[in-house]
Amino acid sequence: MSFLEIKDKVRAGEPLGFDDGVALFGHPNLLELGQLANDVRERLHGQRTYFNRNMHINATNVCVASCRFCSFARLKAGDPGAYTLSLQEAWGRLRARVEAKDPITEIHIVNGLHDGLPFSYYTELLAGLKKICPTVHLKAFTAVEIFFFHQHFGLPVVEVLTQLRAAGLDSLPGGGAEIFAPRVRRKVCADKCDGDQWMDVHRTAHGMGLRSNCTMLYGHIETIEERVEHLLRLRALQDETGGFQTFIPLAFHPDGNALQRLAPPTGVDDLRTFAVSRLLLHNIPHLKAYWVMLGLKTAQTAQWFGADDLDGTVQEERIYHMAGAETPQRLGVSDIVRLIAQAGRLPVERDTLYNVLAEGGELVSTKPYRRSLAPSAGVVS
Amino acid sequence: MNARVRLAAVPFLSARPLTYGIERGLAEDRFELIFDSPEGCARRVESGLAELALVPSATYRSLSLALSPALSLEPPFERGRDCRVVPRVAAVVRDALPSEFADQHSLGALSGSVDDWRRRSGLPFVSLLWSGRSGAIGAEVANLLEQSLEQGLARMRDIASAFAESHGGDPAAHERYLAHSMGYRLGSEEMSGLGAFLEHLRMAESPEATDRVPTRIRLFDFAYAQENAKPAAQPVERKKTPMLERKKTPMPGLDRLLSDAAAGNRVSIAEAIRLYENAPLLDLGRAADERRRFLHPQNRVTYIIDRNVNYTNLCVTACKFCNFYRPAKSKDAYTLSREVLAQKFSETVAMGGIQILLQGGVNPQLRLDYYEELFRWTKANFPLALHALSPEEVSFIARQEQLSIREVLERLVAAGLDSLPGGGAEILDDEIRQRISPLKCSTDTWIAVMREAHALGLRTTATLVFGFGETCEHIVKHLDRLRALQDQTAGFTAFICWPFQAEGTRLRLGDDTTAQRYLRVFSLARLYLDNFPNLQVSWPTMGPAIGQVALRFGGNDFGSAMIEENVVSQAGAVFKLSAEDIERRVRAAGFVPRRRNMRYELLPDCSDAGATCLRGQHAAVGERDAKVPSLGA
Repeated sequence: MSFLEIKDKVRAGEPLGFDDGVALFGHPNLLELGQLANDVRERLHGQRTYFNRNMHINATNVCVASCRFCSFARLKAGDPGAYTLSLQEAWGRLRARVEAKDPITEIHIVNGLHDGLPFSYYTELLAGLKKICPTVHLKAFTAVEIFFFHQHFGLPVVEVLTQLRAAGLDSLPGGGAEIFAPRVRRKVCADKCDGDQWMDVHRTAHGMGLRSNCTMLYGHIETIEERVEHLLRLRALQDETGGFQTFIPLAFHPDGNALQRLAPPTGVDDLRTFAVSRLLLHNIPHLKAYWVMLGLKTAQTAQWFGADDLDGTVQEERIYHMAGAETPQRLGVSDIVRLIAQAGRLPVERDTLYNVLAEGGELVSTKPYRRSLAPSAGVVS
Repeated sequence: MNARVRLAAVPFLSARPLTYGIERGLAEDRFELIFDSPEGCARRVESGLAELALVPSATYRSLSLALSPALSLEPPFERGRDCRVVPRVAAVVRDALPSEFADQHSLGALSGSVDDWRRRSGLPFVSLLWSGRSGAIGAEVANLLEQSLEQGLARMRDIASAFAESHGGDPAAHERYLAHSMGYRLGSEEMSGLGAFLEHLRMAESPEATDRVPTRIRLFDFAYAQENAKPAAQPVERKKTPMLERKKTPMPGLDRLLSDAAAGNRVSIAEAIRLYENAPLLDLGRAADERRRFLHPQNRVTYIIDRNVNYTNLCVTACKFCNFYRPAKSKDAYTLSREVLAQKFSETVAMGGIQILLQGGVNPQLRLDYYEELFRWTKANFPLALHALSPEEVSFIARQEQLSIREVLERLVAAGLDSLPGGGAEILDDEIRQRISPLKCSTDTWIAVMREAHALGLRTTATLVFGFGETCEHIVKHLDRLRALQDQTAGFTAFICWPFQAEGTRLRLGDDTTAQRYLRVFSLARLYLDNFPNLQVSWPTMGPAIGQVALRFGGNDFGSAMIEENVVSQAGAVFKLSAEDIERRVRAAGFVPRRRNMRYELLPDCSDAGATCLRGQHAAVGERDAKVPSLGA
């Protein structure tokens, strides 16, 4: 399949096939590929680049799974480095933000699969957060966690989701998809739900009217064909339900995990993966360059390779930072706005469901800019 | 347009190839051709009796002044929506001016001859142009004018003999004149010449004009019509704020400018500014990538293994952007002892390094003999090249010793100096230098040191550091100084740029130092520096990811697997890469990695059987280490 034929298909709005995807990953001219993805991106979103004001809560890193790419999880409570936040501590995080008059709109909650916590821990966690700030959107628990709750507490997936929604759940994050191919999952994450189960959780959530995101962890042991297949499976579910909002390619970080002998994906890999994702996933509206994982420089550059979102201000991200991410723990709104504007894009603050809250000039502070001197290394515990 | 396009043209010999096709009936139904004097042609366009006139460029200038301000040439592109359009064909004098040109037509108020002009400006002289009101012609007409010229170029002999019949003279001489003294394409150099000439005229006519908005000429471009024919992109409602104003929609002519630059046509200062301000990131990058492919078709990316040794941090220059130097009284001021240097140098050799990049503060305690002895000692004991002393250090030594720069360099070369690093250039603009590094050498001194070094056969690199609140014009003028010197000496091997690293320094500028800006400046430099063979990416400041990506924006060198670096790492850049890591990234970007020396000569390929290779002998230092590793301690 030649690049020109693929280009014609993209221009005509036809879905690309498996062979097209593989060919695009192999296309030698990175910038030509980027321009094609950028055409699609600008067709969908013009000059806009979205971000939100959010915070992360990783309530526990105790996890029964031992995924080989993970630097975050500890097997048992009490292992060195293991932690579990009390509900008071978790709520305190939000309370601190509210008291600081930080107008966050979303809390992103992703945790280890802790086998010692009752289901009520999770429902109370959500309910307590909603009580402190009723308007905040709770994007919580990956499909892997939902599936773990289903198995661990003996509840059907739909029941898990119903109870969590009653407690305050608004949408699901897209993590845990890794690579769907069974060969890869057996090798790197044998203890978590398989691809079909991951899809089922999202299908069920979409059926209940919940929105969700989706991801792909790339750059470890997967092949290009496995990446393409993964993307096409996401696209197929989206055709069925329309419930995915955003796709987030996640680069594998090797520090401190069982795969640390692997070389991480390079900048060219990252940008190529963004561009191909934009071209293959024609039915998923947004493509997020998650700056915590990519680094600010690559995340900014990705805005010209198909991405239209940067994630948010992010407070206290732990999962990637324990795998060696050097990015800061948080970004101020003025930093993000500036980063987007300097990328030549129009900054747009959104909520989790992509309602526009403010854009362009409304976001530009009238105060003179001061370079943020926040320390960039180390994990805050 | 349904009516015929009325063309008024001067009947000069040099103009005949331009009108040849039309005279012979090309697109008869589209054109009406009238011959007239230059003044007559100008009047016809002015009064609407013709749509286009082929007139001497000096007339073009006065013509524009005679018209309403909205139609004049002066407004810069952004405001000059109603500029005239000029097809990309014109008569360009390569050699002597034809006798038929009375001086008032060709040179207007400018005194002297075309030869003087050429000598002074170094630029071609554009004598005749198609000019008219914008909107007068479309792509179709411009195309036909090109066709007319093409037919003319194919029939030079016929033109010459016909002219000899009607006006006398030797047909062979006429033909020689057309073929050798004239050119008919408006490339970037011709546009520079035209712009400079019109500017010159304006100054000659009204020397009191102080608000100097440079004259700009707007070219008709075929891409414009095509762009306009495309359905408009989805409109984006956007609110204007100063910060967001920089975004502009692609402009007519940019595609042509980019393809010309990618093909190696010289880019003028005005064109470079236009590209920098308007070309979308990936368009600029692709043009630079194409240019790189043309210069380095073997798809090779080179790198070197060397060690950056900063022999002293004591410095009297006290640049505001520097976090490395210590004043003389500081407790932390150091000058490395021979023992420490010996250890660092032997480690470098053991790790496969072939060169020491030796730079330090400007330390008045060290005299020329210190450097001479250091270099001799190094050469006597280690198989290492000395890439040492930036122009700032050299000029300081010259002042201190009251010697000329040449004498200092000669003595250093005799002691073992191999090449000069291009540091300390920052922005080669004295206004900016005064602001950020008032004690550092001036632009002229920096250039003078490099000129002397090149004259002595030394090779040097050139750098640019941006993010000091400079404008794009400062950056382009910096590049222009480098390009001009390179035209004379060809002594620069490579160009390297990076954004100012602010952390911990005294400069709080908040200027744009993002990856986007880096990639823009970098690609622009690849296009502008058409006489620089190599462009080195700056992964130590931009990080390995963007460093690698920059290889696709015009870069062909990955710099150094640096064993040590102390300056930018003191200001927040903390990346480290081993040779293996570099090679992996180069391959992942689609290139073949090769080691080189400072002169960019390739070293034996590591993959060749039997070649001795020290690849990967030193431990890979994790690129995410937050601290500079203490390999040298």
